[in-house]
Amino acid sequence: MRLRLIALAFGLLLFSMQLFAQEKTVTGKVTATDDGFPIPGVTVSVKGSAKATQTSIDGLYSISAPANATLLFTFIGMKAEERVVGSTSVINVALSQDAKSLNEVVVTALGIERDKRTLTYSVQTVKGDDLRDANQSNIINGLQGQIAGAQITSAGGSPGLPSEIILRGVSSLTGDNQPLMIVDGIRVSNASSDGTINRLADFNPEDIADISILKGAAAAALYGIDAASGAIIITTKKGKKGAIQINGGFKSFLETVGKTPNQQKLFTTGLGGVYDGSSTSSWGRKFRYDEEIHDNINRFFDTGLINDVNLNVNGGTDNYNYYMSGNYRDGSSIIPNTGSDKLSFLLKGSAKLAKNLELGASANYINNNIKEGIVGGSSGGYANSIYMYPLRFDILNYQQPNGSPIYEYYNKTGSDETVIISPMWNVMKNPRNTSTQRIVVNSNLNYTVNDWINLSYRVGQDFYNQAFANITVEGTPNYMNGRLRETKGNYKYITNIFNSTFDRKLTKDLRATLILGGSSEYYEAKTNAFTGENFIVPGIYSVNNIDRNNLTVTEGYPRRRRYATYGDFKLDYMNMLSIGVTGRNDWTSTLSKANRSFYSPSYSGSFTFSELFENRNNWYGKLRASYAKVGKDAPIYRTNTNLVQFQGVGGGYQNDPTGGNVDLVPETTREKEIGAEFKLFNNRLSIEAAYYDKESSDQIVTARVPLTTGFVIKAFNAGRLRNRGFELSLNGSPIKTKDFNWNMTLNAWKNSSKMLEFPGQITVFPYTFGQPYTAAIAGSMLDMPVLGIIGTDYQKNDDGYTVIDQTGYPVINSQNSQLYIGNREPKFNIGLLNKFNYKDFSLSFLWDFRFGGDVYNATRLGMISRGISEDVGNYRDKMYVFNGVVQQTDGSYIKNTKEVAMDYAFFTNRYTPVGSNFIETVNWARVRYITLGYSVPKKVAEKLRVGRLSVELSAQNPILITNYSGGDPEVNSAGPNAGGGGGSTMGVDFGNIPISRTYSLGLSVGF
Amino acid sequence: MKNILKSISVLLLALTLTTSCSKLDINVNPVNPVTSPTNLRLPAILGNMAYHNYSHARFSSYHSYYMTTRLSNTRIESLLDYNGVTRLGAWRWHYFDVGSNCKGLIETAEREGSFNYMGVGKIMLAYSYLTATDSFGDMPFGEAYSGSFNPVYDSQQKVYEGIAKLLDDGLADLAKATPTDKAMNATSDLIFAGNLTKWAAFAKAVKARMYLHTANFDNGYDRLLTTVNDALTNFDDAIFNYPTGATREWEMNLWGPQVASPEWNFADIRNSLVESMHTDFFMNYLTVNQAGLEYDPRLFKLTTPGANNKYLSAKASEGISTLGLPTGTTMADFANLYNGFWTKNDSPLPFILKEELYFIKAEAAFYKQDLTTAHAAYKLGIQTNLKRLGVSDADITAYMTTSKVVADPTALKISDIMMQKYVALYLQPETWVDMRRYGYSATAYPGIYYPKNALAEWQGRNIQRLPYDRQTEYIYNPKEIARLGADARNWVFTPVWWADQSQLKN
Repeated sequence: MRLRLIALAFGLLLFSMQLFAQEKTVTGKVTATDDGFPIPGVTVSVKGSAKATQTSIDGLYSISAPANATLLFTFIGMKAEERVVGSTSVINVALSQDAKSLNEVVVTALGIERDKRTLTYSVQTVKGDDLRDANQSNIINGLQGQIAGAQITSAGGSPGLPSEIILRGVSSLTGDNQPLMIVDGIRVSNASSDGTINRLADFNPEDIADISILKGAAAAALYGIDAASGAIIITTKKGKKGAIQINGGFKSFLETVGKTPNQQKLFTTGLGGVYDGSSTSSWGRKFRYDEEIHDNINRFFDTGLINDVNLNVNGGTDNYNYYMSGNYRDGSSIIPNTGSDKLSFLLKGSAKLAKNLELGASANYINNNIKEGIVGGSSGGYANSIYMYPLRFDILNYQQPNGSPIYEYYNKTGSDETVIISPMWNVMKNPRNTSTQRIVVNSNLNYTVNDWINLSYRVGQDFYNQAFANITVEGTPNYMNGRLRETKGNYKYITNIFNSTFDRKLTKDLRATLILGGSSEYYEAKTNAFTGENFIVPGIYSVNNIDRNNLTVTEGYPRRRRYATYGDFKLDYMNMLSIGVTGRNDWTSTLSKANRSFYSPSYSGSFTFSELFENRNNWYGKLRASYAKVGKDAPIYRTNTNLVQFQGVGGGYQNDPTGGNVDLVPETTREKEIGAEFKLFNNRLSIEAAYYDKESSDQIVTARVPLTTGFVIKAFNAGRLRNRGFELSLNGSPIKTKDFNWNMTLNAWKNSSKMLEFPGQITVFPYTFGQPYTAAIAGSMLDMPVLGIIGTDYQKNDDGYTVIDQTGYPVINSQNSQLYIGNREPKFNIGLLNKFNYKDFSLSFLWDFRFGGDVYNATRLGMISRGISEDVGNYRDKMYVFNGVVQQTDGSYIKNTKEVAMDYAFFTNRYTPVGSNFIETVNWARVRYITLGYSVPKKVAEKLRVGRLSVELSAQNPILITNYSGGDPEVNSAGPNAGGGGGSTMGVDFGNIPISRTYSLGLSVGF
Repeated sequence: MKNILKSISVLLLALTLTTSCSKLDINVNPVNPVTSPTNLRLPAILGNMAYHNYSHARFSSYHSYYMTTRLSNTRIESLLDYNGVTRLGAWRWHYFDVGSNCKGLIETAEREGSFNYMGVGKIMLAYSYLTATDSFGDMPFGEAYSGSFNPVYDSQQKVYEGIAKLLDDGLADLAKATPTDKAMNATSDLIFAGNLTKWAAFAKAVKARMYLHTANFDNGYDRLLTTVNDALTNFDDAIFNYPTGATREWEMNLWGPQVASPEWNFADIRNSLVESMHTDFFMNYLTVNQAGLEYDPRLFKLTTPGANNKYLSAKASEGISTLGLPTGTTMADFANLYNGFWTKNDSPLPFILKEELYFIKAEAAFYKQDLTTAHAAYKLGIQTNLKRLGVSDADITAYMTTSKVVADPTALKISDIMMQKYVALYLQPETWVDMRRYGYSATAYPGIYYPKNALAEWQGRNIQRLPYDRQTEYIYNPKEIARLGADARNWVFTPVWWADQSQLKN
């Protein structure tokens, strides 16, 4: 049925080529009444026909039209003008600003477009062009610094690693903290199962018109069950009215490695100062002068080359429009044997079936294949093997000419096999492959009953399959006969939404809007996982080539269904006072019958006080406040316990380690928000500020539970946490002249959180996948900021001095190994976007500043343990007087003066076991991107027989200034939601692959 | 137009209809069962009990000085430092892998009315509790499996009472078993193939083992002698057998050279025999040099000889690094601890062996001054073990004449019994119980000494228990942990109840 509707919509397009007779060419210039400058991009159309064009950068247009036609000049924010063609062939028009259309329209929950002026909560919009200037293939990364209140961290610089976005702090301890992702009205998956890329990265940034970010619970309240973490509403481009437009683009990227940790080049392999050829630790003697030292990190990383081709065709009339695009991206990476290969198509169109009935439909096909040489676990640690590989060996020396492995050291005593091989072997031979084919279809029927009633129905499905494979070939240490790990799954989200909108002026000054609707959502995943060891015949890497006794096959089949009904009532008085009330009731399958229905209300209001003033057309000022309470359901299948097969002798069934909990109730988030918005200096400066206070209670935590319950893992309602924060967005045009424009956007935000309550007697909650070493782990602690680092410290006396013992070394606090030693949330963030236009040139760059917030440098901890960190080179065996105090027999303390050696024993027994040694408070100033564009003048373009031609030079992450001692401090060891085992692992650096520095050249043409 | 309106109303209607509740009842995982019959639940309990048993032995075999690690400076086993351990498998293996499945089995058996499985479920739960409490001491019993996240830790004495009750209940259930019960055979019962008489004898053997731990301070030798004799009447070895030639790690003995690590096993549970060697304490006792025997013939059965047919040993905790081997020797000169009788991939894993019962009887009779009975049981224990390991009749005869076997009942010392039991129970966690009962004294274990590399902080104390699970107990139940004092760095040196009460520690 759905496919047929789409076919119908596109079938209509075929009949669209209409011809016009007796036409003449009209030219002219469109300027602005207030400053007289030309306005580019004004749509000039022939009324009643499909014919349309746009003004050039100089405000010039040219269109052919019959003499009796009327030309329509439209531009967002300007009053539309009409001119009858008549006998003239030159029509110059001056457009004046439309006071009403200061009313910026923004897309809000459920795709409802609303006037920003009377909006009662905060919505931030990122324009597609600003997203594209960032030149990031992963949309989430492209939003970095562009949203006040969004903490975006990528899990590393490999193309298959996911990025995490958290709006206004984590609200769920072990649940999904990422906002709901909506593309053109339907929910799409942003999952990163098997630790692969977050699936939003499948979508082509070129297709995006704009992105609305609903940060608060009030803004997202209509989404109810998923609103606690906010929502990201992506609207794709649609066909522009007018003649067919063809745009093409080509970009080429050069990726180079970013900031990496430093190594010592003084000591060779061994332990405790003694050379040992069989060891992978670099705690041996000094390198002899005749020994070669390999700069392995630099030798390992490559330069990546990526090519990206885009093509789109669009057009339309009053009655229909269409947009079709294709994208192909293919590239390598800074990591050898790593790259991605992505193809996507989007077909989208809408048509008026009848005067009041409009049908829209779209289909998006994506084929995304990623191969990654560096494979990590669920806790990260991706590049550790590279950073720790002894410099005695050449990292590039890994295979014989015939492809068999080179073991740098091999010893087999009895069954004791010690093997050293370059990590390059794994990179080149055992990559992981993720391939996805995805189809997102979406159709929308819109019926305008009369001028104040509108009905719409939308149905959509996001379907994808993901195949994940990690083959370990023969000859790899630990798996000498090879190993296979594969997961194949089909994932499906189906959304149905019905909306009815009633929008009417009750009196001259009072406008009422009512939205009533309902939705259903179904999710299912069918997955099969295959694991097995020992290939029977070498070289055939298939389940067919593994003895059936060594093969484990499992099936997963999670399903979830949700229904909701909702209403949204809004009253506007004279564009000055607005009051909104929303209510939504959700029913979910993931909770027991008694608890599955819950209600989420929101109340909000705004007061546009500028309306009280005479000069209200020159400025704008609004205050707003809102309150919302939203519920969240439980993970799938957590209400009862299953049996699983016993894999050992005799088979049969045993309890699933994850126990059920029939008493689960919805998690609740309550958020209060106040805000102010201003537009000043003839609307050239706009300011938006918000303060929020969000509390999440009855947290549904899926965690390890005491084994005395008879289970290992269980979901339970537990605890309460709070996020408070401040967001400020400034947008201004300091300079605006005929030839030169300067536009500046500043986003600043601060979030601080606190763990208010844990269930029972818990005081510390460790994140399952945030525990690289026992010295310090990622976790939350009662009464402390939520994203903490918990670990060990040195003993301190009452005055806070480190206690040194009689031997001259600092004493470890062994009474308490669960101290709060770091807060991973930045104190303050600023994103500063500058855009300059000078004639045909444009320049934009985004600065990203971070102030404070701790990073757990577990990479350095590991490298010191292995003796390869630069610090070991600098300090090992040097004499040192530790700063601290020594306790005397009478109990008093005196300053330590004893000089001791920082030897192997010190580093091993007194340094690496102390977590606080690896906590760094990090600031950074970095340029996320610089993009320089040049549009070839129209005359030149026409000579080249194209409508439009522009070139672009860009750099991503070119500048990083930071006090961090390791690699790139943008780290997130376990990826989104801490691999599912905790709030977030942002700020945990565990073998992080640095984000690459990338340079790109782009060319774009339009016809 | 009308059609469109019609279709909208149809759509709306459809939407309303689909909002019916039954469509929301999909929160049961359709690809796994929720219940299964008793006969399908017993294998997992027995297999997991084998893992559970091993998980204690993995560490206790170092604390009872069968062996020592060659990585002398860094390992728990040498430093006696459990403070860096985040998670010990044993706690989970008892409460979840064995315990919760026993609970499930007992419930299912009640529903089915299968007294055979109900009895076996209770006996296995009791055996698992005994194995666990002997390493952990106080632990939740009364409030375990109650759903509480912070259950009360019962004293070990209470836990012992609970175990005794479980065993009595289990024996009573077995007596009620009828042929209409769900069939128990070699497919479901991998230990006794459904022979309930043997299960009853096993229950009594568990009791005997438990009574031995307290007999010295609760005047329990008479009760113990009655129980052990009762157990021996129908006793057959309770041994979990792994299939020969298995290729899946799930079906392998965790002591084997494969260093099996089925996916959910914790890293700290993998055996490290590859970097371990016998202590001189153990090797000295196995060195005979009499009657034509250089070594105790069991040595060749328990280990694989070193490359040069040598049997070197190392001082406890001092190990030996590859850098500092005695001149002319290499690691290869040490006996390979793998592929011995108990350390092959397909080796059996003992729950309780017959020789243990003989040694229990010998010890009890010894303290009842019935040296004749003690001596007879002692000799039976030795012979049973020699035979089990496949020592040739000639070697058995020879060994029985050496000074390692006391010939004169009146000359029998407690150390004779305990050292022979020590060898017979090679790598079993029960040895650690014995050593702690005797306070690691040279009276029972001549030649025993304190490991040099144990941290000075421990002030010469030996490990007395295993730490609770840090990832859960210390997090969910901090008040009970504090009440016990288990948050102290030296908690593992505090003797458990029966070791504290023991009168034998000198």
